[in-house]
Amino acid sequence: MDATSMFGGAAGGPLALGRLVFSAERAQTRSAANEDPIEARAIAAVKAGDAGSYDYLVSKYMKRVVSIGWGIVRNAADAEDLAQEAFVKAFESVGRFKTGEPFGPWIYRIVTNLALDVMKHRKRFRHEEITDAAPAARRDRADLPAIANELAQRIDRGIESLPEMQRIVARLYLVDEFGHSEIATMTGLSEGTVRSHLSLARGKLKEKLADLHGGSND
Amino acid sequence: MTEDDDFLDRLRGEARQLRFEPDDIMTTRIAARVRERITAESQAGIALVLARWFRPVVASLGTLALVAALGVQWLEQPRETPATALDALTSTQSVDISVGGDTFSVE
Repeated sequence: MDATSMFGGAAGGPLALGRLVFSAERAQTRSAANEDPIEARAIAAVKAGDAGSYDYLVSKYMKRVVSIGWGIVRNAADAEDLAQEAFVKAFESVGRFKTGEPFGPWIYRIVTNLALDVMKHRKRFRHEEITDAAPAARRDRADLPAIANELAQRIDRGIESLPEMQRIVARLYLVDEFGHSEIATMTGLSEGTVRSHLSLARGKLKEKLADLHGGSND
Repeated sequence: MTEDDDFLDRLRGEARQLRFEPDDIMTTRIAARVRERITAESQAGIALVLARWFRPVVASLGTLALVAALGVQWLEQPRETPATALDALTSTQSVDISVGGDTFSVE
């Protein structure tokens, strides 16, 4: 069990405990980045003007970036555009990137922000079309990966039925397996808000999947 | 709370397969487009740097050339020398000298 799940229930606990969890997550992220010297060299080369070295970073983070984008916009074509835009944007501002920091959280934050902008744009232009009766109509389910197992399909439907920010936070936590602090950094929300969204999502998912997990609502 | 965490952990285990996996075609296409765009931007960047350097250099050289041309033109324009002016003075004007009531004219 990792530090996040060990202390996951301490959302309302002492502040010091929260800081400890946050520090542990940050330390994990940094040490993970430091384990890849090729990445550090690639970033240094890109900062020095060698655009060719950027290929390594693109290929390393490509799948995760597309997955994050797809999880939010639920459309393969949009996810592809988002990934492309995120990598170009990261390249353009690589001069501001701190040497020694991991590239992953940075590019994840960029793609998340771009995807959230797409959602805002959709909401603004489709506001009149969306009704409570048909919340799934705005999502493109044709791009769903082939899901072998029924439980996964039910989880997917459960996540998709959540209100938008709960859905995004739950997907980043459950599907993409990010920690609370990572999600907070990516979405621009506070860690407390992330925990709150996740707690609400957990309650709703528990109701929907009660029979599968044999759980009752606490 | 531990029960809730167990619930989420179990969901995580199942939800992992909901992750979207882009195929090779998509990843290749994205990589190619990113490469194309950053290469274009790099080239545009070089052109911009060159333009930034060359514009003031060209402007300075242009100013120098103009000043030089004006200077040469000024130096080469026909000008009356003092000797020529004296000759003209002596050749065109006569001097009258009066001695003892008589006036002599010297040209």
